[in-house]
Amino acid sequence: MITILWTRAGFWSRFLVYVLLVAAAVFTIVPFLWAAINSVKTLRETFQIGAFIPFLQFEPTLDSWREVLADPQTSTAFLNSCVISAGTTIFALILGVPAAYSLARYEFPIGSSDITLWFLSQRVLPPAVVLIPFYLLLVYLHLIDTWTGLILCYSTFNLAFVVVIMRDIFRDVSTEIEDAAKVEGATPWQIFWMIALPLSLDGLVVSSVLVFAFTWNEALFASALTSQAATPFSALVLASRSTRGVDFNTAAVNTLIGIVPPVIFYLFVQRYLARGLSFGAVKG
Amino acid sequence: MAALRVERLEHGGFFKYALLLPAVIWVFAFTFLPLISVIRFSFSSYVMGEGITGFVGFDNYVDVLTSGQFWQSIFVTVVYVIFAVPIELVLGFLAAWLVNLGAPGSRTFRTIIGSPLFTLEVAIGYLGVTFFTDQGGLIAVPLAALGIHVPWMSTAFGGIAGAILLDIWRWTSFIFIIVLAGLSGISSELYDAAVLDAKNHWQVMWHLAVPLAWPVTTIAVLLRTVECLKTFAIPFALTSGGPGTSTQTFSAMDYLTTIQFFDFGKGSAMGIVYLILVSVVIATFFQQMRRRLT
Repeated sequence: MITILWTRAGFWSRFLVYVLLVAAAVFTIVPFLWAAINSVKTLRETFQIGAFIPFLQFEPTLDSWREVLADPQTSTAFLNSCVISAGTTIFALILGVPAAYSLARYEFPIGSSDITLWFLSQRVLPPAVVLIPFYLLLVYLHLIDTWTGLILCYSTFNLAFVVVIMRDIFRDVSTEIEDAAKVEGATPWQIFWMIALPLSLDGLVVSSVLVFAFTWNEALFASALTSQAATPFSALVLASRSTRGVDFNTAAVNTLIGIVPPVIFYLFVQRYLARGLSFGAVKG
Repeated sequence: MAALRVERLEHGGFFKYALLLPAVIWVFAFTFLPLISVIRFSFSSYVMGEGITGFVGFDNYVDVLTSGQFWQSIFVTVVYVIFAVPIELVLGFLAAWLVNLGAPGSRTFRTIIGSPLFTLEVAIGYLGVTFFTDQGGLIAVPLAALGIHVPWMSTAFGGIAGAILLDIWRWTSFIFIIVLAGLSGISSELYDAAVLDAKNHWQVMWHLAVPLAWPVTTIAVLLRTVECLKTFAIPFALTSGGPGTSTQTFSAMDYLTTIQFFDFGKGSAMGIVYLILVSVVIATFFQQMRRRLT
């Protein structure tokens, strides 16, 4: 969408906007490029001044890539991360979205904003406060080092995001259509499921992308609650220090391959965005 | 956009509770009940394998409160948040504003600027080491060529500064994505009207976009602050807390106490103390949020 601000801008304003945008893009891209360069270096070259340009200043090698990709641990961890992140996203939405709708539409004795903040307050707890009881709970349930255990844990943490964001979205959706449906005799459940939900599709996309990315990234609980079978990629990367000292070239490879699944997920759900990521774009 | 909302809350009866209660019960069962057991742990001595071996009163708390390491980790965390969050807010907002102008190619810029959100913090932390080393570091070497020698990896100051830089790179995208969502929700009619009144674009941004996007921005900043107070992966991967324990954030220290040394009693006490400290900060913030949410 081109805004009136852009159409009215003079040459120099436009020029300045592009300069700043390019600067931001370069700032964002350089670490990725650096990771790409590091991933084809040897460890010695990584800590050598003036080894920037492959072929010209050093001889690139694919050893680190081979090492990472051939390691069965990598593919297991990747699979674990995908299952855990997808599972968490689905589960957090199933629990959180109805709650958010209820908080957006109905009156409660204690005030729906207070309940929303109560959900959010759970995120304030320091990780270790939640970590110990979770650890013991999962030991008790025999869920240590399982997908289910981590999904259980992450769903709890991410629920707050879903509730806060989706409540905001539902409040921005016009209630006129819902009222019309009610006059036609639709049940509250039908209104929620067949009207409010489809109208809030971009909110669902934003929430799911955030939950997926947050779950994918989480390393602290991942390393504490798994030991091997269900270890996600983030925990595997974190642990690479203790096992072999940090190998900075494989770390660079990990940086690059670690971004792939969440981006694929993002591109996949992005198709359902009507007008880009936008809270409240569907105002009546 | 609170002013534009037409609030017509309904009674709802049984239905509203059917939708809400599963989530409430879930959070209660998996957060607030565990919290009770943590409070119990914090007053006990805990031995792995044997469980609680005895109640020790406030001993764990005294240990924590008199521990220099604890206060140091608090200090590190506070410094981290005070620098990282405001810079991320300003950069994220500006980037969102620029992208939202809708210049040709904006979609590409949106994708690029948002992409760090999908990276692994741990991996970025390790990658960061190769930015800040004086042996061929991407940032350290050019700076040194300009005569600026920052002891990135050898001092606490350098380590924290480096971690904050990485944090800004990683998390500005979060503010960016949420604020951009807020900005794109502002209807174009409002811009049309504002352009007629304003002298320049700066005024439009300051008097129209900032106030209208403020509610969403507050949410973004709150979520970011809450997460940043728990920062673990980036500084831990970059410096592993060193030199010594001088760059250990609270989460890193608590994690090591609890999981590496299995000192559940002390780890719990630490968590409770931190929770109380953080609550004071967040409560002030929540007061603001409340005004926005209602």
